Amino acid sequence: MPPSAAAPIIEIDGISKSFGAFKVLNDLSFSVAPGEKLALIGPSGSGKTTILRILMTLEGIDSGTIRVAGDNLYQMERNGKLQPADDAHLHKMREKIGMVFQLFNLFPHKCVLDNVTLAPMLTKGVAKKDAEQHAMELLDMVGLADKAKSMPSQLSGGQKQRVAIARALALQPKIMLFDEVTSALDPELVEEVLNVLWRLCRETDMTMLLVTHEMGFAHDFADRVLFFDRGRIVEDGKPDEIFRHPKQERTQAFLKKIIAAGHRI
Amino acid sequence: MGQWAGYLQLILDGAIVTIQLTLMGSVLALVMAFLAGLGRLSRIAPVRWLATAYIEFFRGTSIFVQLFWAYFVLPLFGFSLTPLQAGVLALGLNVGAYGAEVVRGAVKSIGKEQYEACIALNLTRWQGLRKIILPQAFVLMLPTFGNNAIELLKASAVVSLISLSDMTFQAQVVRAQTGNTLVPFLTILVLYFLIASIISLAIRGLERYLTRGLDGIRS
Repeated sequence: MPPSAAAPIIEIDGISKSFGAFKVLNDLSFSVAPGEKLALIGPSGSGKTTILRILMTLEGIDSGTIRVAGDNLYQMERNGKLQPADDAHLHKMREKIGMVFQLFNLFPHKCVLDNVTLAPMLTKGVAKKDAEQHAMELLDMVGLADKAKSMPSQLSGGQKQRVAIARALALQPKIMLFDEVTSALDPELVEEVLNVLWRLCRETDMTMLLVTHEMGFAHDFADRVLFFDRGRIVEDGKPDEIFRHPKQERTQAFLKKIIAAGHRI
Repeated sequence: MGQWAGYLQLILDGAIVTIQLTLMGSVLALVMAFLAGLGRLSRIAPVRWLATAYIEFFRGTSIFVQLFWAYFVLPLFGFSLTPLQAGVLALGLNVGAYGAEVVRGAVKSIGKEQYEACIALNLTRWQGLRKIILPQAFVLMLPTFGNNAIELLKASAVVSLISLSDMTFQAQVVRAQTGNTLVPFLTILVLYFLIASIISLAIRGLERYLTRGLDGIRS
């Protein structure tokens, strides 16, 4: 789905973030249109994962503002004044956002089905029967309907990650964040997860942000690619522009290294 | 030999009191362990202070002194307790302070990624704690809780000092009446060991029950 001229669903304006003396994000700004599929690439430590974590409210920001669907993520208005967001505000904002982690983060003491139904039942008050029905549809979509009663420890990495995707989708977020979701997988398991992402990409109008080292997939998946280095966006463009005709030297050097390491683009 | 039957009955009566103390003391200890253990992890500073004060006080003073306070000093402030109530109170509060550190340690040992999954799924802090963190942490607490319960069982002998007729108190009575030390104290040695073994077995069984599936047994 091509990005429309509609108001952006994510507006990031001048955010900075440091871990101790290390400045991960440095006065960063960009926005994302509703339905846009965005790939974030760049060397380790360039800040791309931190952006996802900040959007999921797992990390705060030091300065700048973020708006999600028009609302300020980390601040709220009270008595006409801007105040730091409280728990209620963050809960309201998180309803719009889902995240899939590099290491799956499934709940090991709950079976696959319960992993998927837990959050809708707790956070949206969905009835158990309805939650299970929806969960089975999602598990079917990721090809794991037959594993509904399995425990996470019985699954392969690729299966775990597909459950994690179903679990995040169960809350029906407008925005999905994928943080290096294939990096922890054995090479032969990467494809089954990418296939699920590919389906989501083509069949839903969710806004998707994907941090990845799979350049070939990023090229096919994304409407737009952001190349990060040292907490800044070095290059921002269509996949063909970034991957085939990178303008910036740093982008060229990064892609050259990736190709030298044997990755397909 | 006939006289011993009556004395054995005395000791068994005492065993009932010891078991009562152990059970009720353990329940109070468990409640206190969770209250204070989670209290120490609270975001509200006064709650943390209160929990820390409780833990440090009851770990840092002798159970013997605590029991005497509960039984002899509290009445001076208008709280009169029966010996059993005083025993349960002192044992529960004392062991609960140790248990609180177990709760805190187990909760903190659950990986950051589980908390992050809770946030990403928009659970409240309480929902995440109750549904995700505590069920996993509880399994880790169990072995140490078992130790604590056995410690509590053995510490319960101090109640004989406030004239509560527990097993140790009754053994003293038999010893005084018969002049024989070996028989009554061998009897209670065996009985303490039996009760402790039952606690051990029960905890191990519970642990096995709660971890089923985690290692892939449940299908």
